[in-house]
Amino acid sequence: MTRPGDPSGFRTCAGPIFELKNVDRRFGDLQALTDVNLRIWPGERVALVGPSGAGKTTLINLLNGSLLPSRGEVRVLGHNLARLNPRALRQVQRQIGTVYQQFYLVDNLRVIHNVNAGHLGRWSFLKAAWSLLRPLEVETAAQALAQVGIPEKLYARTDQLSGGQQQRVALARVLVQDPAAILADEPISNVDPERGREIMDLLRRLNRQTGKTLVVSLHAIEFAYSHCRRIVGLRRGRILFDAPPSKVSPEMVAALYRIEGGRGEDGPVP
Amino acid sequence: MARSLDLESKGGRAPVGLPSRPSPLNRRSLWGLVFGVAIVWSLTQAGMFGRDVINEGGWPLVVRFLQASVRPDLSPEFLPLVLKATLVTLAYAVCGAALSTLLGFVGGILTSEVWWQAVIPRRSKGGRFGDHRAPWLILRAGLTLPRAIHEIIWGLFFVNVLGLVPLTAILAIAIPFGAITAKVFSEILDETPRRPLNALLNSGVSPLKALTYSLLPQAFTNLLSYAFYRLECSIRAAAVLGIIGAGGLGYEIFLSLQSLRYEQMWTLFFALFLLSGLTDFWSGLLRRRLGAASRLELNLLKRGRRKMQAHRRDPVVNGSLAVAVGLLVFSFWYLRPDFTQLLAPRTAQLLAGVIRDSFPPRFEAGGMGELFALSAQTLAMSILAMTGAGLLGIPLSFPAARNFLLPGGILNPGHGGRGRRLWGTGLLLATRTLLLVARAIPAPIWALILLFVLFPGLLPGAIALGLYTLGILGRLMAEVTENLDDRPLRALKAQGAPGPQVFLYGVLPRTLPGFVAYVLYRWEACIRATVIVGLVGAGGMGRLLTEQLSSFDYRGVVATLIFFLGLTLLVDLTSASVRRGLR
Repeated sequence: MTRPGDPSGFRTCAGPIFELKNVDRRFGDLQALTDVNLRIWPGERVALVGPSGAGKTTLINLLNGSLLPSRGEVRVLGHNLARLNPRALRQVQRQIGTVYQQFYLVDNLRVIHNVNAGHLGRWSFLKAAWSLLRPLEVETAAQALAQVGIPEKLYARTDQLSGGQQQRVALARVLVQDPAAILADEPISNVDPERGREIMDLLRRLNRQTGKTLVVSLHAIEFAYSHCRRIVGLRRGRILFDAPPSKVSPEMVAALYRIEGGRGEDGPVP
Repeated sequence: MARSLDLESKGGRAPVGLPSRPSPLNRRSLWGLVFGVAIVWSLTQAGMFGRDVINEGGWPLVVRFLQASVRPDLSPEFLPLVLKATLVTLAYAVCGAALSTLLGFVGGILTSEVWWQAVIPRRSKGGRFGDHRAPWLILRAGLTLPRAIHEIIWGLFFVNVLGLVPLTAILAIAIPFGAITAKVFSEILDETPRRPLNALLNSGVSPLKALTYSLLPQAFTNLLSYAFYRLECSIRAAAVLGIIGAGGLGYEIFLSLQSLRYEQMWTLFFALFLLSGLTDFWSGLLRRRLGAASRLELNLLKRGRRKMQAHRRDPVVNGSLAVAVGLLVFSFWYLRPDFTQLLAPRTAQLLAGVIRDSFPPRFEAGGMGELFALSAQTLAMSILAMTGAGLLGIPLSFPAARNFLLPGGILNPGHGGRGRRLWGTGLLLATRTLLLVARAIPAPIWALILLFVLFPGLLPGAIALGLYTLGILGRLMAEVTENLDDRPLRALKAQGAPGPQVFLYGVLPRTLPGFVAYVLYRWEACIRATVIVGLVGAGGMGRLLTEQLSSFDYRGVVATLIFFLGLTLLVDLTSASVRRGLR
């Protein structure tokens, strides 16, 4: 599924694929991230863990360029995202595929169109429009669906699939997009445990077989231990630890999820 | 949930080639085919494939008419008249909307299923249908008649019974709108969660008290925001009623048009735009504050329950309520409708006379043939109007949506510069103004203007109705876009898809079904409104009905109304089944 003529300059860049320097992100009065420094290298498999509200989703959205930092610098494939014009930003974004907790599919379209949406960064408007009438590149889409285990759903309507199946469609879309890195924002929170394991297995296999960088945020830490090679612990917008699973002790995890009394002083750091 | 688990693949099932493409022959494409045939048939009915439709001689008149728009009559003799006409229209609308809300409130309770379930609780556990169904269905059916008849027809009817008094205009608005409000309110009540009500009923509280303490407070915000939507409609209805002589802006516009005083007409137009625009804005603002996402029934029901919450302390809501009460007092004081007239013996006599004269219905000497032909014409007119309004409304609705071209919107994701902001804002204002103008001018006035250059017939009527409907539909469609869940769009943007492609895959597929549903829904309203363009000679059953009413041929009127109701029913059923089929 690798296309010729890929902007391979992006792929083989020697430095980190993601780099955050002193990043703050504020939403009004809410400080979502504070002074985050992070480097992720091509091919890594990183878990972001932490209690809800720790800033995991904000971090993912900074990495894929949906958000810009309030302070500091986010570099993706060597480019400072804040400095790019919309067109160049899209060029970089094409190399980053994201799957979401709520899947975010267009649910009254057929599965094939949602999978083909992975092409949108490359397709011309006319090609995209024609494909809605008569699907194009059916082979590619079918292959991607086979890879995620639901080849028979090619022409099904997306809203008729179960949660686990919809997450697979979202993954197939990312496969068609064929990015250098895959970001997954709590991809298994909305599917039952067994399907969750299958999806995590799939993500790990993709990373191993294709060398795509994987950054996955997880609410529960078990899969971080079993499926990733690096765990980044976030708490109240700050990185608490950043270590391989073997170095993450139960005490560190306990500190990450510790519940503090006195909601008043627990608020965001000013 | 069980069904989706069944669908889940158990893994390991090897794919046997590609799944075959689904056949292009499905329910959707079949309805598309039916639609195509209907269009061709309607165009044939309108005489598009035969005689001349354009009256070349009328162009100079159009030029004069348009030239007048830049120099409206602002003379000190004329302006007080404009002010007076504006106040009359406003007062009619306020009184009509208030009365229709009252009627709708009482009628809504009486026609809700939950009320009858509370009054007549199910006695035997085994029975599939409770006893409450009979009175409920009868009352429900009783609402269809006042709803199907247009305000104008009610107006003409009350003119004959009460004379040309303010009460006529108020009742002409209040009765059909009251029936519509009752239907919507009963649906709101039936959709409101019932547990609190049942808890009270089971502890022996009487139905009325139980309802007052449970469902009514829950549903009240819905009713309030719907009442303000009705006020918008009432302004338009009050303007239309002017045409039958009830006074106000519609009446003055009609007079100026008839006497070719275009400068005066434009002044009145601008007053109408202002009145209508301010009401729409106010009502929209209030409804947003109350948490009602959309102005039409369809979405009100679906979203209402989730989003509705009263912000009691909101200054906009409190201020609006104070203004509304003030307007109400002013309007009744200004018009001084004489409600005692309703109980006067003379009214009863006249009413009895009208009823006596109405039966048995007499179908024309030409027989049913003419009525069938006119029904077909009316149907064709509504189909053309709705198609035009839908096709134009969709492209106009997008720039009119707040979240589309403005910075941060769907097509302008960038943190765009001042140029793009200006461009987006300009287009937004331009399309919104266009839609406002289209819906503010009463359809009969549109028809009269079109008759400058078109020969009388179906076509000017269809275009007039189409323009009026376009104004309403475009606004509704813009709200569909504004209420779109933007997370799937952000997902597409995050992978680097350009704006137009995001529109194609993220916006169009999710808005189009809503647009089609709105078009089908408004089709029902459109068939009602065919009557009012018939009034000025644009053809269809409206023309016949007007002739019969003005010659006091009540037996003929009843016959025509029977046909008209049949047609309305047919459109209702078709529209509902197409909407179900496309879901």
